[in-house]
Amino acid sequence: MPFLEQLAGNLIYGAILGAVYGLATMGLSQIFGVLKIVNVGHGAFIMLGAFTAYWMFTLYSINPMLSIPIALVIGLSMGLAVFYTVIRRLIGAPELSSLLATFGIGIFLEELAKFFWGPDHRGYTWNIGSVNLSITLIPYSKLLAFGMSIIIALILYSIFQKTRIGTAIRAVVEDREGAMVCGVNVTRIYALSFAIGIGLTVMSGVLVTLFVPVGINPYMGGEYTLKAFVIAVLGGLSSPWGAFVGGFIFGLLENGSYTILSLFPNVEPFSLTRFVAFSVLLIILLVKPTGLMGGEGE
Amino acid sequence: MRRYVRPMIPVIILYLTLLLVGLSSESRWQPVAFIMFYIALGQALNMFLGMTGYVDFGYVAFLALGSYGMALAFSSFSSLGLWVILLGFVLAIIMSSLLSLAVGAIALRLRGAYFAIATIGVNEGFRYLVEGVRLWGGSEGIIISSTMKDIFGSDLSNYISTFVADIMVFVIGFIAAFLTVYIINSRIGYALMAVREDEDAARVMGVFATKYKIMAFAMSAIFAGLIGASAWTLKLTYVFPEDVFNITYTVEAIAIVMLGGAGTLTGPIMGGLIYGFLRYYLSTVLPGFQLLVVAPLLVLIVTIFPEGVMGYVKRKVRNTRFEKYII
Amino acid sequence: MPLLELDGVSKRFGGLIAVNDVSLKIEKGESFGIVGPNGSGKTTLFNLISGIYRPDSGRIFFDGQEITELPPYRRAQLGIGRSFQIPRPFKGATVRENVAVGALFGTLSGKIDVDSALEIADHYIEVVGLHEKRNDEAERLTAVEKKLLELARALAMKPKLLLLDEVVAGMNPKDVDRVVDLIKRVKEEEEIAVVAMVEHVIPAVMKFAERIMVMHEGRKMVEGPTLEVLMMDEVAMVYFGESKLPGE
Repeated sequence: MPFLEQLAGNLIYGAILGAVYGLATMGLSQIFGVLKIVNVGHGAFIMLGAFTAYWMFTLYSINPMLSIPIALVIGLSMGLAVFYTVIRRLIGAPELSSLLATFGIGIFLEELAKFFWGPDHRGYTWNIGSVNLSITLIPYSKLLAFGMSIIIALILYSIFQKTRIGTAIRAVVEDREGAMVCGVNVTRIYALSFAIGIGLTVMSGVLVTLFVPVGINPYMGGEYTLKAFVIAVLGGLSSPWGAFVGGFIFGLLENGSYTILSLFPNVEPFSLTRFVAFSVLLIILLVKPTGLMGGEGE
Repeated sequence: MRRYVRPMIPVIILYLTLLLVGLSSESRWQPVAFIMFYIALGQALNMFLGMTGYVDFGYVAFLALGSYGMALAFSSFSSLGLWVILLGFVLAIIMSSLLSLAVGAIALRLRGAYFAIATIGVNEGFRYLVEGVRLWGGSEGIIISSTMKDIFGSDLSNYISTFVADIMVFVIGFIAAFLTVYIINSRIGYALMAVREDEDAARVMGVFATKYKIMAFAMSAIFAGLIGASAWTLKLTYVFPEDVFNITYTVEAIAIVMLGGAGTLTGPIMGGLIYGFLRYYLSTVLPGFQLLVVAPLLVLIVTIFPEGVMGYVKRKVRNTRFEKYII
Repeated sequence: MPLLELDGVSKRFGGLIAVNDVSLKIEKGESFGIVGPNGSGKTTLFNLISGIYRPDSGRIFFDGQEITELPPYRRAQLGIGRSFQIPRPFKGATVRENVAVGALFGTLSGKIDVDSALEIADHYIEVVGLHEKRNDEAERLTAVEKKLLELARALAMKPKLLLLDEVVAGMNPKDVDRVVDLIKRVKEEEEIAVVAMVEHVIPAVMKFAERIMVMHEGRKMVEGPTLEVLMMDEVAMVYFGESKLPGE
């Protein structure tokens, strides 16, 4: 029975990590849903959130939960800055331009991080004890990250459903011209959506640090960009809620397949787990080639 | 015939100048070869990205496969003597084109963003497969330097990796330029132009878009494979998955194509020249931080100068007598 | 045997039925008009015929063969040419190159080389009167010229059926006359069946179409000889009634 116990333990862990993955993808889906732009530099903003948590913790002993609002403010302002300098010019431009521009922005942020903070892998430990589930030990910090992801997702949901801004954003998604006629300032809605998307992403970066003990470095984001793509496609690419659910599925899949792949001799389960993730991505794209966009193949 | 010859004149002039500068003194050969690598890389990617407007973020996978093709030739068929290099190129072509056909069949049914995401998936997935099942040496890669010395002796080996490999990149780049001229003036070029400008409109005008996209994709992949085989395996004499699947090369190739002017013949050459120069210079003043300059450059080009240097020139010479020379 | 036949064709998007059980026959060389207010399913119907969408139910036949499942490029080669409501020229390419694409790919008659395609292009550019702009980039054309370019592009495909989506919308009366005359002329010369769809500009329809179909909320409301149909009360209701309602 040790295998099943291990599997169960890893699946619990996968679900917890999955919530964070979900949160870390919502920003990508939010931006795509409203602006129809894929933020290829997504992971770089997660990296910024991770560094925010790291510096707050090591320099000022601020615990990661309190870094979340700080990360939100950083994310919102960066989102606005990036939108008004670059993204605004790319609305309606060929997809090529926005893909390349966001790609470039991501790399620029990584290189800046490397320039200022160096390429080293860093980490910090926020030890507040663990809960013993008999099959596995779950640190409270991870449980907090799990809870916080769900809370943030719920807050976002109520903002979308209950507030004027949320209604305006939904109106723009439904019918851009219609919203414009009704007096919605579409550019401002785009700016706001982009800022919220980046804010969410930077916040999620804070929570990510609770799962990577020594993995904070300028290039850590690449991995999350890739995972976020898989998750976003799982969830339908343009729906933040779909992304959140996709995160859970991905977390379970990743940790479940790792446990199973570890049984085989002569393979590297860690690499193969990622191979599985990308295979899933391709299979989804194959089965539903244009995602939820509804176009038809030739 | 003049349609093919005239546009090649600026290309030939640029190539010859570069070659002469490189051969003029021993110290100049390495920087010239360095620039030539970027020119060839830009030309290879231009055949796909420039011609179709599709972004392939996993492009480096084709260079990687070409580079593995050459390495496998050395590690498994060393008894062939000098022929092993030819076999290496053949393997590079086969492997990169097979991957491109497989990826193309799946991913080229997707549009824009979905295609871009799928290509990242393929590149990363393939890399982790190589490492995960310890294919081709797994994460340790393949080192061919000692095999090379066994076959050719150390003098010839040295000559191959410091000179012949570079010359091969020159030749590959030149062939790519010639093929590009041919494509631009042929049915394929018209089909790709139509697909790039408006795929739905192209389709209702009778263009079998998927077919032409796959053609462009495969040609571009083959040239990438050839570049990987010579500029990496023959020149460096080793292949590590972490290096050859490094997304940096994809970024650089895209930046070169966009800087020079996507879809033009001389664009990637100009782009490679400017970029290679810049990068060589930066590696002396800002070692390790080239991307810090390249990334904002890429953002700048796509937001305020999307037509690129030669795209601009091409527009300026329209309806003048230089029109036929710049395409 | 009709040139084009739609047999109970439907297409839905989510909960909305954009085209609902439409049947239609177009004869060779006919001039046919499709009239209906915005959102009545006209453009969707064109997209179903040209193959951008596949119908959810129903079948489509063209020139004696079923084309329901054929991809757009095959339909184009069989002889279905079309224009778009908002013109979609290949912006970065010249007028000649634009039209040459039609000549190169829009027919079944085997491969022709680029030179002959450019010759054919020149001919149709002359026909629509754009010869002075043939080396200009398509994006520099005026709105009317872009529509003419789309027409030339479609004609270069040597179509048997030409689908024109709002080809005279937004034109001044003089241009409308010019374009309608042009279409009538090439239609006779090339023996093409033309299906033109319009939202407004009823005079243009009367001048051009022998028969028309009125669409309303995705359905075929009536079909028949142009004048007869336009005189019907229910057509007037759909057509003019809606705009009057809010005032009542």
